[in-house]
Amino acid sequence: MRHATAVLVLALSLAASRLSAQGGGAGFDHEKHRALFPTCASCHVGAVAGGVSLWPEPVSCAACHDGTIEKVVTWSPPRVPRRSNLRFDHVRHATSAGTKAPACVACHAEAGAPRMAVRPAAPERCLDCHAIRTAHLAAPDSACAQCHVALAQATHLTRQDIAGFRAPPSHADPRFAGADGHGAVARQAVAASCATCHAREFCYQCHAGATPPRAIAALASDPRSTAIAARGAPASHGGNFADRHGTAAAAAGARCSGCHVRTECLDCHRPVAAAGPGYHPAGFLSRHPAAAYARETSCSDCHSVGGFCAACHAQAGLVATGVLRSGYHDAKRFFLVGHGQAARQSLESCVACHAERDCLTCHSALGGRRFNPHGPGFDANRMRRKNPETCTACHGTAIPVR
Amino acid sequence: MTTRAVLLALLLGAGSNGQLKAQGYRLRLDTRAQAVGFRGVQIDSIAVGDTVSGPGGGPATPDGFAVSCSGGAPFCTYFRPGPARRGAPLVTTADLTMWGFGVRGVSAHATARAGVDLGNADVWPGTDPALQLLAGYVEYAAERVTARAGRQTTFSRLGATGFDGASITLRDGRRGIEASGYAGWGLARGVALPITSPALNPLDDFQPRQRQLVAGLGAAWSAAVADLRADYMREVDPRSNYFVSERIGLSAAVRPAPGWSVAGGADYDMAAGWWGSAEIAVGYARRAVSASLGARRYRPHFDLWTIWGAFSPVPYHATQAQVAVQALPQVQLRARGEWYRFENSETATPLVDVVGSGWRGEIGFTARPAAGWTFDGGYEREYGPGASSAGASATATYSPVATWRVMVHAATLDRPLEFRYAESVLQVYGIEAEADPRPRLRVAFGATRYVDDHRRPDAAGFDWGQWRLTLRAILTFGRGGGDELGGLPPAVRRMPGGGAAR
Repeated sequence: MRHATAVLVLALSLAASRLSAQGGGAGFDHEKHRALFPTCASCHVGAVAGGVSLWPEPVSCAACHDGTIEKVVTWSPPRVPRRSNLRFDHVRHATSAGTKAPACVACHAEAGAPRMAVRPAAPERCLDCHAIRTAHLAAPDSACAQCHVALAQATHLTRQDIAGFRAPPSHADPRFAGADGHGAVARQAVAASCATCHAREFCYQCHAGATPPRAIAALASDPRSTAIAARGAPASHGGNFADRHGTAAAAAGARCSGCHVRTECLDCHRPVAAAGPGYHPAGFLSRHPAAAYARETSCSDCHSVGGFCAACHAQAGLVATGVLRSGYHDAKRFFLVGHGQAARQSLESCVACHAERDCLTCHSALGGRRFNPHGPGFDANRMRRKNPETCTACHGTAIPVR
Repeated sequence: MTTRAVLLALLLGAGSNGQLKAQGYRLRLDTRAQAVGFRGVQIDSIAVGDTVSGPGGGPATPDGFAVSCSGGAPFCTYFRPGPARRGAPLVTTADLTMWGFGVRGVSAHATARAGVDLGNADVWPGTDPALQLLAGYVEYAAERVTARAGRQTTFSRLGATGFDGASITLRDGRRGIEASGYAGWGLARGVALPITSPALNPLDDFQPRQRQLVAGLGAAWSAAVADLRADYMREVDPRSNYFVSERIGLSAAVRPAPGWSVAGGADYDMAAGWWGSAEIAVGYARRAVSASLGARRYRPHFDLWTIWGAFSPVPYHATQAQVAVQALPQVQLRARGEWYRFENSETATPLVDVVGSGWRGEIGFTARPAAGWTFDGGYEREYGPGASSAGASATATYSPVATWRVMVHAATLDRPLEFRYAESVLQVYGIEAEADPRPRLRVAFGATRYVDDHRRPDAAGFDWGQWRLTLRAILTFGRGGGDELGGLPPAVRRMPGGGAAR
């Protein structure tokens, strides 16, 4: 049974490959038919006359393959155009070349091979005639457009075809990724050559800034071009960029907005309650006192002190309730008396557990112990001008004038 | 108010589909669930006469808790382990962009979250209130002008400022000049809620009765070699017309040579009359090396509806450096460090000695020895006032194709505190997996084990080992744009017609 299945699979595979060969014409044995067709144009009229198919009519095969003279063949010409980005057209090429037009075998046969030993045209033959003395992919940047249409015009190519494009050796140079490499090439008015393999969307993978270079704008738009993956984030984004992006983003937010949208900013700056480790690594909850006391970054840019810090500390039993007690900070015996330095150094940490009433127990001129909380840099007159209500919390309506 | 705003946005969205006939839209639904737990402390007291002498000679409870007794008070207080709290937040974020209303350049954007804690009520912060509108605005964008109306967040030197109102940006791209302005009713800092929301006042503390009015101006110049920007923002209490805050910020980035940059900025608190935070850094970033050396100053900002600014918080000054080197094609090494010192707080007392300076450092590597494999490891240590920590972490990721990845991770951490006997030792290990089973669907799963031991000489030391589970699903819907734009940055993908409209 297993053998029968294997034979069946093999038979089906062979049949499929044969059908495929017949459909594409590649399986036609030109050599075997050499005596029947004195010229190539006998079958491929479209190669010498405009408006006619390049392929023979199936009925012409049936003149011999009628089941009597020869066995019947079921061949039909390809129904869809070949997936190609060549700008080649036999008739136009012959017309423009005039007397220099090559014979069919010049491209479709090896040098010195019999007339009907045909093969698909090799790019090297094109380069030879056009006096380009390099390998195909090493051709000068200005040469691509001579034989190829722009990617956006090669509408029959699929993303898989495009992803399979081989990169020219020049692209392997480490300097090519920089402005002095491909940037210089693009600026030298050879955008048409770049367009052979690339379209605007390809460039936007890196050049997504608000004002992309002019050479990119000259390219056509074609989303298929992203099938070729470009380099990711710019070099400046290396290291711990997430921690230090703020300064650059503040100076030139428009540059960021070329690639990033506000929702991405909100992902971190307005964090999701159910998010796992992301900006902060796993275990940060245990480490956060060290990062938060002397702010490693500005916590309040992303977290509300009341709605996040104090809310969580309240659940953990850390917030002061009722009469202020000194028991929690038990590593410093006289912490309550000498807490001033700790408080002025990290007031944001204090207010994550303590309400204003805790401090006003002692630091108020209205019934507290009248300990003056104002320290270095305090400008009483300025603060009173800006918002005297702040002063009334401790001083009532009798705000002292300095 | 927030609920109504979300409902209004949803209704507007529905109306847009039906009446305005948006030609294109992109909707991204991101649902995350997490099962977490923690264990805090619970204050307790004991009569002075019931205390016993603890191992260290101090007073303690008979069951071994060290207690704190104030002179003359009949009771001593102490903190015993609190109950284990279990939270299971479930949050869905919807991010919607619509365009094609008949006027070129007009689009609508909304980002909203619906969240609920499936565990103990409100254990995990961020799910109250259940509906939150992060952004919901209509935008008109053309070459020289961008105008927005609705709930939005503006990002600047002065932070991420949310408000309900209008903003406009005018630009001359040829000269690289930009001017912007905005005004509206402000949201609270660090959250998409009005400052009047009960969720922001868990301590039953001072809280404004009305939302503040916020207005700001910005001016920027941008060129190939430099970017400059100045921002001004004021917030006013509409009830009294007094200031809530008034600040200016300056930012600059200069690129003197390929790969080199100098970036810095500073903000000045016009209400308090002092400089706030500032930083400057020289950076170098080429293909194999990324490095920076800089100085930083940090001072917190407090609104004037609180009294905290009057307590004169002092800034600290830091010097920092970081470097990442592609030592081999498959290996990147990194290191960073920061040293800081607080300004004199003028509160020194002989009874309590408080640390006034500190440092942070990290070394690590990332290696990709074979296709699909990534290994990352690092050691981090910080010492400073309030708390210190030291720990190592490592991850191994296998991602043979772009559509899925699996990561295992482990970490260890020591965390001594300065003001409390509670040296915590934590060990973490877990696994994460992520896959794109369909082109518009991504799912992720994570399971992490936390083993936390509070090393303390008395009975208050406890552990709260736990598993944390996370689940995530992202669904993307869309119409009217290119479907093959996966490789493009989000800003390009969300343009009408994908990148073609640029």
